[in-house]
Amino acid sequence: MDIRADGLTAASAEAAATGSPPAVAAVGVTKRFAGGVVANDRVSFEARRGEVHALLGENGAGKTTLCNILTGMYRPDEGEVRVDGKPIRLHSPHEAQAAGIFMVHQHLSLVDSLTVAENIVLGWSRQGGLGFSSRTVEAEIDEIASRYQMAVDPRARIWQLSLGERQRVDILKALYRGASILILDEPTTVLTPSEIEQLFSSVREMVAGGRTVIFISHKLPEVFAIANRTTILRRGRSMSTLEIGETDARQLARLMVGHEMALDVPRRASTEAAAPAAEPRPVLELDAVSVQGDFGTQALREVSLTVRAGEVLGIAGVSGNGQRELAEVIAGLRPATGGAIRVDGEKLVSGDARDAIRRGVAYIPEDRMGTGVSPNLSVAENLILKSYRHDSPHAGPVLLMRQAEAQATALMARFDIRAPGPRTLVRQLSGGNVQKVVLARELSSDPRLVVAASPTRGLDVGATEYVRSVLLDAARRGAGVLLISEDLDEIIELSNRIAVLYGGRVVGVMDSADATYEHLGMLMAGAAS
Amino acid sequence: MSSDLAVSIAVSAIAYGTPLVLAGLGELLAERSGVLNLGVEGMMLMGAVTAFFASQMLPGPGWAVLVMALAAAAAAGAAMALIHAFLSITVRVNQIVSGLALTIFAGTIGLSSYAGQVWGIGGQHGLHQLSRLDVLGLSDVPVVGPILFNQDAMVYLSWGLVALVSYYLYRTRFGLYLRAVGESPRSADAMGINVSAYRYVHTVVGGALAGIGGAYFTLAIAPIWTDGLTAGAGWIAIALVIFAFWRPDLLLVGAYLFGALSSLGFTLQANGVQLPSELFSSLPYVMTVVVLAVASTTLARRRIGTPAALGVPYVREEG
Amino acid sequence: MISIERSLVTPRWQRIALPIASLAIAAILAGIVLAASGHDPLATYQQIYEASFTSTGALTATFIYATPLLFTGLCVALAFRMRVWNIGGEGQLYMGAVGAAGVGLALGGWPQPLLIAMMMVGGAVAGTLWAMIPGLLRAYLHTNEILTSLMLNYVAGLLMYYLIYDSASFWRDTTSASALVFPQGKYLLPAADWPGIVIGSFTLPFGFAAGIVLAVLLLALIRFTRFGFEMRVMGDSPAAATYAGMSTRRKIVTVMALSGGLAGLGGASQIGDFGHVLDPRGLQQAGYGYTGIVVAALALYNPLAVVIVSILIGALTNAGFALQGPLFPIGLVGTMEGIILFSVLGGEFLGRYRIRFGRAPAPAIAADEESGIP
Repeated sequence: MDIRADGLTAASAEAAATGSPPAVAAVGVTKRFAGGVVANDRVSFEARRGEVHALLGENGAGKTTLCNILTGMYRPDEGEVRVDGKPIRLHSPHEAQAAGIFMVHQHLSLVDSLTVAENIVLGWSRQGGLGFSSRTVEAEIDEIASRYQMAVDPRARIWQLSLGERQRVDILKALYRGASILILDEPTTVLTPSEIEQLFSSVREMVAGGRTVIFISHKLPEVFAIANRTTILRRGRSMSTLEIGETDARQLARLMVGHEMALDVPRRASTEAAAPAAEPRPVLELDAVSVQGDFGTQALREVSLTVRAGEVLGIAGVSGNGQRELAEVIAGLRPATGGAIRVDGEKLVSGDARDAIRRGVAYIPEDRMGTGVSPNLSVAENLILKSYRHDSPHAGPVLLMRQAEAQATALMARFDIRAPGPRTLVRQLSGGNVQKVVLARELSSDPRLVVAASPTRGLDVGATEYVRSVLLDAARRGAGVLLISEDLDEIIELSNRIAVLYGGRVVGVMDSADATYEHLGMLMAGAAS
Repeated sequence: MSSDLAVSIAVSAIAYGTPLVLAGLGELLAERSGVLNLGVEGMMLMGAVTAFFASQMLPGPGWAVLVMALAAAAAAGAAMALIHAFLSITVRVNQIVSGLALTIFAGTIGLSSYAGQVWGIGGQHGLHQLSRLDVLGLSDVPVVGPILFNQDAMVYLSWGLVALVSYYLYRTRFGLYLRAVGESPRSADAMGINVSAYRYVHTVVGGALAGIGGAYFTLAIAPIWTDGLTAGAGWIAIALVIFAFWRPDLLLVGAYLFGALSSLGFTLQANGVQLPSELFSSLPYVMTVVVLAVASTTLARRRIGTPAALGVPYVREEG
Repeated sequence: MISIERSLVTPRWQRIALPIASLAIAAILAGIVLAASGHDPLATYQQIYEASFTSTGALTATFIYATPLLFTGLCVALAFRMRVWNIGGEGQLYMGAVGAAGVGLALGGWPQPLLIAMMMVGGAVAGTLWAMIPGLLRAYLHTNEILTSLMLNYVAGLLMYYLIYDSASFWRDTTSASALVFPQGKYLLPAADWPGIVIGSFTLPFGFAAGIVLAVLLLALIRFTRFGFEMRVMGDSPAAATYAGMSTRRKIVTVMALSGGLAGLGGASQIGDFGHVLDPRGLQQAGYGYTGIVVAALALYNPLAVVIVSILIGALTNAGFALQGPLFPIGLVGTMEGIILFSVLGGEFLGRYRIRFGRAPAPAIAADEESGIP
């Protein structure tokens, strides 16, 4: 492939000049996954040369799937992909890259101990042949970097760089290989505000040269700052394509979350739950809690929340805005860098899971198989995973499984866990039954607080129903429930009150009865109300 | 210390260190790809016995026989390594167990001994031996002469290989890809690099080099074959790779250092210094532990460069 | 209808059939090697069987080889289960031998039961302390214990060497006639001999009997105690262990300590049951620590199975040395052991697949099968 100095292929530069068919388009693309999930449903989408096109939508809307199809990771079941107006069959990321389509993912795949230059040429180099001259590569990188205002030292090692700089390396990698269509997947999640500005000016440079940038996001302020046009996806369908200048936040939010009227959604919480108990102190209080994320970012910024006994507080928001860290800090799996967490008025020891368990905090984790259970152990053993320490049958160092198994049988009946017996290994169970094991364990200890993170994700209809009713039941019996979910319907259906997390902050708290999809959508997308 | 003493220590260090350098380079390549191979001792013994047998059986001029014997040794080591590679990479068994199985299989009371018996070479006197060369006629130069210009061909080969592997690792594309595979197989895979292939190739090449290292014993050090001839050199080579932090240049230095240290103790005692030689010999291992401990506390871990994926089987997630 | 498919669950019958099938394959492969070099496989196997079990003194000799492997095998079985890769059993055994010999020499006048008990304590403590170095480093500094425990093997070997061959240490015999010719260790008094258990014409070493007890205790520890429960969770899913509030660090150190203690006891047994003298050369050549890793792997890290496998490997080794001669090369021992290992390890590959008869619903969840013990 012939790459010019500015990184474009000759063909794409020419196409940009004549202003002809869209750079890339998906026409009637449908993609189905196992279990009847239709990730993309006859989606049509096109992006022009020289434009920044934002792909908007909530989680599960189908944005990532669509882009995986465009970059050759998946093949569409129906429909086709066109590049410069010509249909093209992409069987692998390499073929997509040969066509100039590159994607910068949220989770960067760089090798920490190698230098920037080494990472950029990893797998492909402009120079053929055996040796590679670092100096030539460094010069080439410097050239691209300066042209697009993405300063980075080619000789630096990746572990020395900040997240923003690492992202730059990933983008440079794509440009180095002649990307004419660049897809950025939620790039601003890991950036500071000034880095976001930097990114935007680099993006403007890139499209000025005739490139196309597709910008996946759920954050309206950014979309308005950088995009020319936007396409909104919802539940696998493309809703609309609009010029940025001709729309506003309200319209976009409405298109993203969909329901105009919220009246037809059953509000179970308000009808089924008893009124939140009039107790002197809330079950859970978060007092200006700050938490650091995995890569040095600030995941939660001075978050304050309360949950009362008998109440379900739903945390709405697009994933990646601090939800995971919120669940983990309450469960004691992650230390807080600021603020205090109180259960029944008394502080929890930061970062101490045992303390949280002892104080009656139950945690239903998002990753049930990887964190919530020990897959190669039996159901009975998993059911005592936390209680083995202090429950009465297990006094002293000896652990008598017979009693645990008897209790397990009882729990299995009570929580409708379908398995041959308490000795069945958990990894042999279906997803729904694994979740029931987690629920049985967490809820049977009569917890004060239940933190449930995406509890119905990946479950079938029956299991989903069951999980939701069990959570409400826990609230009815006096526990406080913190429900973290990406499913807005679920939040609205089950919660007494709703808080929205955006960028690590609580941007709105309201009674569920007062919540509208539109309002929530705008808060979730960062359009302050 | 007189210069004669220093020279003799240096010369014996080189003799001690050469098989370590060769086998160590092989292990370095394997570990850089993420495969821990504890079967080095077995591979060296197979190389030693095969080289000896070949040198006894093959006709022709001395140098040709020696070259062919080395090739045979390389093949034997490579074949052994292939077993370990298959078990570790494809079957994905625990690499520690697989490597030890190889050492037992090919080791002192294993296949190498069996082959020696079957081939009937025990007790024979080697027909061909590597002799010291006189490079550029400079072997008589004081101090450096005996050290640099009066070594046998395999010593020079080992020096060449160190340079070659260094160049390969740090200046070629494939060396770069290798380093990526050992550090982060997931990223390498995402870049289209075939992780399995790299691991296979480098493990097998590692075996070939170990075989050649073993051959040094029967073709240069002493013209005989006995069971367990290498006396633990393979194990020392494994330690050496870690001591050298997976860098070929440090490997060379380390190999000679190990050799010098082990003879230093004796020479000091002979000169009245009452320090046990074992103290010196244990220094490299103790130092390695200390550096490993210190290195893992800070982010220096990344600078030091334990291949992060060492010993971990790679499974590509089906998407 | 018979189909073969990727399986998450190995049905019980397959779990037993597979190792047996692997052994059968190993026997066939070894037979081929034998035949190819002019030996009659069946006759050879017959000879091995007799030399290990039936001929006079064979059984006793088998157990002499099996005893150290029992200890080092248990050492590894315990550690590897929790994904603590202790390959320092070799050095921990050496230190155990040093410790037990030292205690035995120093307390020579004590009444025998007490003396033996103290020797065992000395051996176990020495092994434990040696193992705690890599253990603490891993627990608190996240240092790779494979590398550190390996390095310490060399150091322990050199220490042993120093004590006997290069110093006038407490362990060294500086007076007797033979000691003046060649360095050797001090022999322990007969009171320090561990009493073998005589059963007919066969003597079971005291150490092996103790090892069986330890194997049972270990199994009980793993299955019936809270500590064992935590160990199993940590070995299966470190993430779940953290989630459940289990403290990883102390557990890692404890497991390493116990593991090292077991290997140390193996060293003590070498002194008390067999040599009655610290013999660095013999111990280093034997490589019991490394062989123990292989024993544990073959036993699938089950303590009771370790007892069986240690006897089998001990039998093979014994037969090799007993039959050694022009008709029976000693190299056969390692070759056959290696073939057995490769077959069993490779057979595990097939165990990932399942033969299914008829039609039955498969579990819907795709679990991470790498979470199990390798």
